[in-house]
Amino acid sequence: MIIFDHVTFSYSKRIVLRDLSLSISDNERVAILGGSGEGKTTILKLILGLLRPDSGRIMVDGEDITTKTESELRDVRMKFSIVFQEGALFDSLNVKENVAFCLREYGKLSEEELDRRVRELLRVVGVEHALELMPDELSGGMHRRVAIARSLAACDPGMFLYDEPTSGLDPVNADTICRLITDLSRDNKGFIIVTHKMYDAMRVAGRFIFLKEGTVVFDGNREMLEQATVPEIEIFCRELRGIC
Amino acid sequence: MRIKEIINDLQDYYLLAMRGLAGVAGRPFYFKDTIEQMDYAGAGSFFIIVLVALFIGMALSLQLSAEFGRLGLKMYTGKAVGITIIREIGPVMAALVFTGRVGAGMASELGSMVLGHQVDSLRVFGVDPVRKLVTPRLISAIIMLPLLTIIGDALSVFGAYYIVVFVSNQSGYVYWRSIRDVLIAENIIAGSVKPFIFGFLIASISCYSGLMTRGGSAGLRQATTNAVVLSIIAIIISDFALTRILLYILGFSV
Repeated sequence: MIIFDHVTFSYSKRIVLRDLSLSISDNERVAILGGSGEGKTTILKLILGLLRPDSGRIMVDGEDITTKTESELRDVRMKFSIVFQEGALFDSLNVKENVAFCLREYGKLSEEELDRRVRELLRVVGVEHALELMPDELSGGMHRRVAIARSLAACDPGMFLYDEPTSGLDPVNADTICRLITDLSRDNKGFIIVTHKMYDAMRVAGRFIFLKEGTVVFDGNREMLEQATVPEIEIFCRELRGIC
Repeated sequence: MRIKEIINDLQDYYLLAMRGLAGVAGRPFYFKDTIEQMDYAGAGSFFIIVLVALFIGMALSLQLSAEFGRLGLKMYTGKAVGITIIREIGPVMAALVFTGRVGAGMASELGSMVLGHQVDSLRVFGVDPVRKLVTPRLISAIIMLPLLTIIGDALSVFGAYYIVVFVSNQSGYVYWRSIRDVLIAENIIAGSVKPFIFGFLIASISCYSGLMTRGGSAGLRQATTNAVVLSIIAIIISDFALTRILLYILGFSV
């Protein structure tokens, strides 16, 4: 359970989140929507303790993470699996080494076991053939899939966090990523997807949170979203109707 | 407000540099990353250091031969070249070249890792970015810059020899005897302490600038510029301070 309790956050003098309060259960499939710079990615970073709020509390499974040290946050971070925007693969390592990175760090696996595990994870995301490729040799879709495989290698997450997982992808690759996101949450595992692509959000999520000027202006399901009267949401939905 | 920001930056820089150094002692120690960085900083800088050092030595020798020739003191060219290169120009020249090549590289590499969320990824995976990224770069600079300085000094001396013997028509025997005379402990210590300090300053400033990168490609450009400019300023100021301190410690009167 994630709880934002009156959280305010700013970069230098620009306030990104204003007195934001929300709660998300472990098995929820949540899409956080909003325009660029509305604080969507910031919310993910705050959940992981990568950023600290100016004020307010962030509770993860009942623990206030805003007061935790970097080493204490490690246990909190192990509860999540995050795929950053563009994948954030280590560009000096090939696909195999990227996926094996965490396995080596925590490493008790032999090279043989490690190789088997990496191949297994790459098979799950459908890029086992890219084992020896470098990140700059991957297409956008493959990049995201390898990033998902790497995040799965890090831990057995309770919840997935996706930061713009389909941005910049063609419809076919975006569809593949959406299917993968749905597949990975089959064991009643929840996820938070941050996106500005309404079509993708509608495909995977059950709850929608819309941010505007650092506050939640909408929080509800698909039907409620389509009836919402917030002008920005109407624009997002209009784009969706155009696609459909 | 600006002063407060500068003090905050200095404090953050100091903490990063100290944590980077402390990473040498604790676990995990990223040996492979350290070797990779030493290869990049050392072997990768070898050719440019050789080239620059050779021509600096030749240019210096030309200037000194011309000036000493007018005064009838040509036989002192070797001694002046030796002292200048070993105690002053060699370490500073190597440090400036190292800044341009390695420092800028460190800042831009770390900066792009920050912008690409790779540093955040490390933190999420429970890896300390300072131990993983800063410590190997600090170690590589502290070890490789002194080695490059020694190589650079040697090449400068050889470059100067070429000018003294084949252009200025002086005795090679006298030149090498002068060089041998200046290779005393005081001069060697005075010249060899500096590269360790310069290496630490270049790596720590460059890593700090890179890790503080914000704001896309313009931010990356600013971070790289900051790394080079601040490193150069730090080298020049610390060179003066170290020269003053070392002359005092080694008993030279000014």
